[in-house]
Amino acid sequence: MQNPYVPYPVIVDKIITEVDTKDIKTFRFKFVNPEDEAKYSYIPGQFGELSIFGKGESPIGIASSPTQKGYVEFTVQKAGVVTTALHEMEEGALMGLRGPLGNSWPLEYLEGKNIVIVGGGFAFTTLRSLINYMIYGDNRKRFGTITVIYGARNPGLLLYKDELAEWEKRDDLNMNVTVDKGDANWKGREGFVPTVCKEVAPSKENSVAVICGPPIMIRFTLPVFFDLGFSKENIITSLEMRMKCGIGKCGRCNVGSKYVCKDGPVFSLAELDKLTKEY
Amino acid sequence: MEKRLIKKEALAGIAKKMAEEFLVWAPVKKEDNVLFVPLEKDVEPFFAYLNSKNAPKNVFFPHTEVMMKFTRTPEGMALTSEENKADAAVLFGVRPCDAHSFVLLDMLFDQEKYKDEYYINKRNNTTVISLSCVKPPYATCFCTSVDGEPVSDIGADILLTDIGGNYLVEFITPKGEKLAKYFGEDKADAAADAKKKEIAQKAKQAISSRIPAHEVKPILDNNFEHPIWATIHGKCLACGTCTYLCPTCHCFDISDEAKGSDGVRIRSWDSCMFPLFTKETSGHNPRTSQKERWRQRVMHKFKYYVDNFGAIACVGCGRCVMSCPVNLDIRKVIEDISKI
Repeated sequence: MQNPYVPYPVIVDKIITEVDTKDIKTFRFKFVNPEDEAKYSYIPGQFGELSIFGKGESPIGIASSPTQKGYVEFTVQKAGVVTTALHEMEEGALMGLRGPLGNSWPLEYLEGKNIVIVGGGFAFTTLRSLINYMIYGDNRKRFGTITVIYGARNPGLLLYKDELAEWEKRDDLNMNVTVDKGDANWKGREGFVPTVCKEVAPSKENSVAVICGPPIMIRFTLPVFFDLGFSKENIITSLEMRMKCGIGKCGRCNVGSKYVCKDGPVFSLAELDKLTKEY
Repeated sequence: MEKRLIKKEALAGIAKKMAEEFLVWAPVKKEDNVLFVPLEKDVEPFFAYLNSKNAPKNVFFPHTEVMMKFTRTPEGMALTSEENKADAAVLFGVRPCDAHSFVLLDMLFDQEKYKDEYYINKRNNTTVISLSCVKPPYATCFCTSVDGEPVSDIGADILLTDIGGNYLVEFITPKGEKLAKYFGEDKADAAADAKKKEIAQKAKQAISSRIPAHEVKPILDNNFEHPIWATIHGKCLACGTCTYLCPTCHCFDISDEAKGSDGVRIRSWDSCMFPLFTKETSGHNPRTSQKERWRQRVMHKFKYYVDNFGAIACVGCGRCVMSCPVNLDIRKVIEDISKI
């Protein structure tokens, strides 16, 4: 039996600086012991505890898709002790990874439905995992239309720019990338995410909206989807809370009787309605 | 299972005899307090105690414990060892309320999906010997309101009950029976059993402090936003004494300590009473004031634990009542909530 508190040893295989401000990077990890990769079998929407001995641990959503074999990726903003230490690491460094933790995007529920992905800023990471999962090979057939609405404050803050360009080329993805304010080189759309959602106006028929973003974006985006007729069962989001153990024991990430680490982080609005508003 | 009788004065000797062979946690006088400590040679256990100052949860869930060790390598910090071994031990003479707490903590630490080996290993390797409260130790005891009794074998492998001159020794589990050889050959008769039942009944009736612990559950279900929450925490100092002494509080922190090239990852008790407990790196804190923290403490014990495990996370030991520096009495809080 694996002790759930002990991290798998991983090597920092690749570091990609995602944004102009250089404080958001994607870290690609390879498992030191190849057999650990199979144990780290995950589903989009789950998270891991990035573990740096001597500094501590930080819970971060998994940004890669399980269809990407041989590694696992996390996109991390430099913010506290652990993420700052992570940002100072170099390729080839040894560290630790725990998990996968939490529930996931409800893939079975999403199958056969039209999917609307709405992401804002840095909160696009586990949505990226979901998109890459849904468009991989035969997986694509299991889902209806896929509409992506993704926004950042400015072009320099968009994550996964190469991937966004690749996705734009596909005819089975309806891509809508927007920035609050463009710059001289920006040829794309300008406008806030809620406004773009209103313009794109995805149909509620057989549709599920998966929404992740800063609180202000969520606040103004939800009414748009209510107006479009989406039910609370069909609006799904992911919560963040301070966490330590990640397995529902240390007692700090509960919202009502639910632990965000173990029972979440993914909840539908219908489920959130039943919980207290303490998050 | 079998029952025996031992002379009252033999008890300390039995504990000391066991301590020659393995780790025995026993109540020992420390200045003005009684605490459960590993029994050392030439130290007298003190079984005439009321209850220990601290809950004995630290036997399974230490205040601070090393989870793993790490060291510097050319590539980075690497794990050197997991520290989750537990030697055979006996927890000798705990009160039934505290033994009850172990059953509650098992529900959390020993779940089907995620097993907490640090807790479980110690728990599996430790035999719990409970010492009945033949008279309620304190006026603040309210075990009978939270599914406990002063003479109860819940959570115990062996139960000792003072029946006047003798202890009735009841072996409750096979684990307890393995220690039978330490308790002499004197088999208990039906009269001893009857005497114990009579004592148990009297002791139960003597618990005069009662709280509507079950009755508040449906009220808590529907009153997360009730104005009463703004009236409870006013004098709370956020010192965390209540959670520190509580037999069922299990919240913890995980942190790293390094010195030179080596270090340890430790876990230590944490408390929902502390502002930083839920504060996120961004600065956002879902529980912004002591009001929310007190609500969390009450909800966790009397609603959330019931929702998740079907049991109230309080054993009625009254430690939080006795030791709160500002006399914030959870019995009154529950009473007040029951009236809204």
